[in-house]
Amino acid sequence: MPRFILPLLLALIGLILFGQGAYIHAKALIAQVLLERAFEKTIATGRETKPWSWADTWPVARIEVKRLGARAIVLAGSSGQALAFGPGHVEQTPDAGERGIAVYSAHRDTHFAFLKNVIVGDEIDVTRRDGRTFRYRVDTTSVVRFDASGIDPLAGGHELVLSTCWPFDALTQGPERYLVHATMIGPVSNTH
Amino acid sequence: MTTCDDIEADKRNEQPSLVRLVLFFVMQGVAVILVGFAALFLSFEPVWSAESLQSNFLKPGDARAGSLLLKIDEGYADASRLGIDVDLTVSGPTVRARITQIFRNPSKDWVEAVYVYPLPAGGAVDTLKVVIGDRVVIGDIKERQQAKTIYEQAKQNGQKAALTEQERPNIFTNSVANIGPGETVLVQIEYQEPVQQSGDTFSLRVPMVVAPRYNPAPVVQSVDFKPGGGWGAIKSDPVPDRDRISPEVLDPATNAPVNPTRITVRLQAGFPLGEIKSPHHAIKTEKPDANTSIVRLAEGPVPADRDFELTWKPVAETAPSVGLFRERVGDSDYLLAFVTPPSVEQAQQNPLPREVIFVIDNSGSMGGVSIVQAKASLIYALGRLQPNDRFNVIRFDHTMDLLFPSAVPADSEHIGRATAFVGALQANGGTEMVPAMRAALSDKAGDTNYVRQVVFLTDGAIGNEQQLFETISALRGRSRIFMVGIGSAPNTYLMTRAAELGRGTFTHIGSVEQVEERMRGLFAKLENPAVTNLVAKFSDASADMTPAAIPDVYRDEPLVLAAKLDKLAGSIEIKGRIGDRPWIITLPLADAAEGKGLSKLWARCKIADAEVARTTRQATPEDADKAILALALEHQLVTRLTSLVAVDKTPSRPQGEPLKVSELPINLPAGWDFEKVFGERPRTPAMPMERRADTEEARVQIAALKRAQPVATTAPSTVTLPRTATDAELKMIAGVILITFSLIVLVFNRRQMSLR
Repeated sequence: MPRFILPLLLALIGLILFGQGAYIHAKALIAQVLLERAFEKTIATGRETKPWSWADTWPVARIEVKRLGARAIVLAGSSGQALAFGPGHVEQTPDAGERGIAVYSAHRDTHFAFLKNVIVGDEIDVTRRDGRTFRYRVDTTSVVRFDASGIDPLAGGHELVLSTCWPFDALTQGPERYLVHATMIGPVSNTH
Repeated sequence: MTTCDDIEADKRNEQPSLVRLVLFFVMQGVAVILVGFAALFLSFEPVWSAESLQSNFLKPGDARAGSLLLKIDEGYADASRLGIDVDLTVSGPTVRARITQIFRNPSKDWVEAVYVYPLPAGGAVDTLKVVIGDRVVIGDIKERQQAKTIYEQAKQNGQKAALTEQERPNIFTNSVANIGPGETVLVQIEYQEPVQQSGDTFSLRVPMVVAPRYNPAPVVQSVDFKPGGGWGAIKSDPVPDRDRISPEVLDPATNAPVNPTRITVRLQAGFPLGEIKSPHHAIKTEKPDANTSIVRLAEGPVPADRDFELTWKPVAETAPSVGLFRERVGDSDYLLAFVTPPSVEQAQQNPLPREVIFVIDNSGSMGGVSIVQAKASLIYALGRLQPNDRFNVIRFDHTMDLLFPSAVPADSEHIGRATAFVGALQANGGTEMVPAMRAALSDKAGDTNYVRQVVFLTDGAIGNEQQLFETISALRGRSRIFMVGIGSAPNTYLMTRAAELGRGTFTHIGSVEQVEERMRGLFAKLENPAVTNLVAKFSDASADMTPAAIPDVYRDEPLVLAAKLDKLAGSIEIKGRIGDRPWIITLPLADAAEGKGLSKLWARCKIADAEVARTTRQATPEDADKAILALALEHQLVTRLTSLVAVDKTPSRPQGEPLKVSELPINLPAGWDFEKVFGERPRTPAMPMERRADTEEARVQIAALKRAQPVATTAPSTVTLPRTATDAELKMIAGVILITFSLIVLVFNRRQMSLR
């Protein structure tokens, strides 16, 4: 009998680890549904709406890449807590549609997994919480160190940067970040 | 070997089983290699995180994405640093504390420094001094609004000014305006506090850090979720002053501790001193003579991240059970009396069984060692219940669970379930204390054959204390509330006031080692009859006494009375009942010893009484405020309504030079889990701020020097990108590998068994 204990124990640890990993993904998926709802309400009411009552963040924008059918609701702030639920709007960078570089950041294995499929020329739509949508076109992608991004948020021009961890298939945290850089084409008249 | 024999014997199965065996070994080899790789990755992780931590030094202080960073962006720089010197003199029943805060401005700008700090809840702050160079400016007590105006005016004029305001009875703010470039300003406040006594142990406590509070969101924000909210649901913000009590907290993993503190205690207890201990700090003690001891921190300054506690005992076996002290101020005499009622053993007949409701706080602020202490305390308490008692367990964060729908008998099955429930608790989420208290006080059965006791374990890290007090005073009924404060920096104001309103006691547990000793003390109080129906009467003098109605006194606790007398004559007679026996004691006033600062203590107690009366609606808010203001102005005390303000007459900041605000960050209380309180560590961009070690002002920087100093390297005009990888896949892969591996082992085991 004791020879079964070790494998069972290992299986249990395995299950727990797997569960924890799955939980991170589940949280990311479910939160987006709640966030979508809260964001609709934000646009409708014009007030910050928390997706759940104890949340310490709120939806501020929606990023959409129509070609890939990818979309995600962006949260205010890029604390680790917020990033578990959705992409974060990096502090101290302007809103989409404003002068400067708006930076949004998300996990490479959940909300921004689609970034690896984004190619130069793709169109990215960002809807702000006031309901206005701006369209950007991807012009470059690059890999930088997190502390040497070279992004000056107050630079001239209307630009957008989506950032996630690089490389995409790595298992551990690294210092490198993958950036998708896009320049604004202009506002889009809302159809929905 | 046996396997080979078996194979040879079993010719028919030879071929496939050999293949399977080989296959098995190959797979096992692969699995081992994979596990090895996974382990390698896991062991690499600290290296990575160490790297990211190091780089994090460059962007400190974004604990709460918000105010401070914004200010920096507009040109505000947090560069001010602070050193704290605590000097305590214990003379008999009172502690006189002098706290010197050294504000230093190493930047090139004129700054206004704002520091939020805690003091004991019973402390009476009466003195503010500002030392600039060789000049000393002494503060005056003013009505709060007026003081603020004077301060703002001085700030505008470029004069140096300091303002001490009370945010809570145990949270104060010092603002110092116009600290010049490279300048150091000393701000000194003094307060008076009674010594705590429990059994034969005397103690004092200096809180050193304001623990981050959970401030419930205004109800207005959640109106949408409540059906039929309407008028009733719209309430004002439960924590109107949330900004004022939420200083920035530095993540201990990425910041060297700040605010180094030195502590000196001159102990003149009035009796020969026995054992002197400090449970949370290493101390060294000098004894110039038998009655005096000087206590210092053994390792020099410490970061202000945990409460300092000092306990002392008399040499004699038993502590003096009576203390009587007097002071003459103006034409009044003030009296302070400590009387410890004798501990009477339980009466012969069985005491009434008890119904104990345990409430445990498993919110995020309890993360780290606090939840361990809380769980250990509660499990100890469960073990102490008698079979004829009843109990229930409530746990809360921003949600709440009752273990049983109503109180259940404390039989082994129920205790077992409760122990398992408590053991599985994890600290997470917000702190919605009011609903939990309401549930604990709901006394549906109302069975008077049971004594109802609520044991509430929390760190009290909430900002809406007043709501909790109102709940207690409205719903307490016949329940008694025993607060158990957990962790290195509990909110003692909340604890003592809640225990007072709930007619129970406050027990503090500061470390895991203290759990058993302190819980034993608490159970002595719960299980033994309290001294009830207490009345004090002065034979000759007419007295204004506080507390006006003396609360019940539990085992080993002293009864503390303060009074203002018209003349010091005759005696005081205290009467009460211990269990079913009458108890009476008479103290002649002429024997009182000279004490210091008793008038301030009396006034402070009267002010606390007025605040309680305001909470319990025994006095109208206007009347209570009037009484508080009169007492505060007469006795020069900082209260909710009065502040101390000191203004240097000579202007120092040249006109036209801008003034910058610098909110000084505080440490996270020791043993707290940063991520549990503020979420995962933020990876936000930040401008490198002044974080260089300063060699000239070593006094202020000693604590900081204990850790490697960060060096700013990046240019300020670039965005630092947050960390955007989860360990989800790593965990899932490791999980799958482990499961596969265990399955292989299982299959192999079964095969071996079937082959045999």
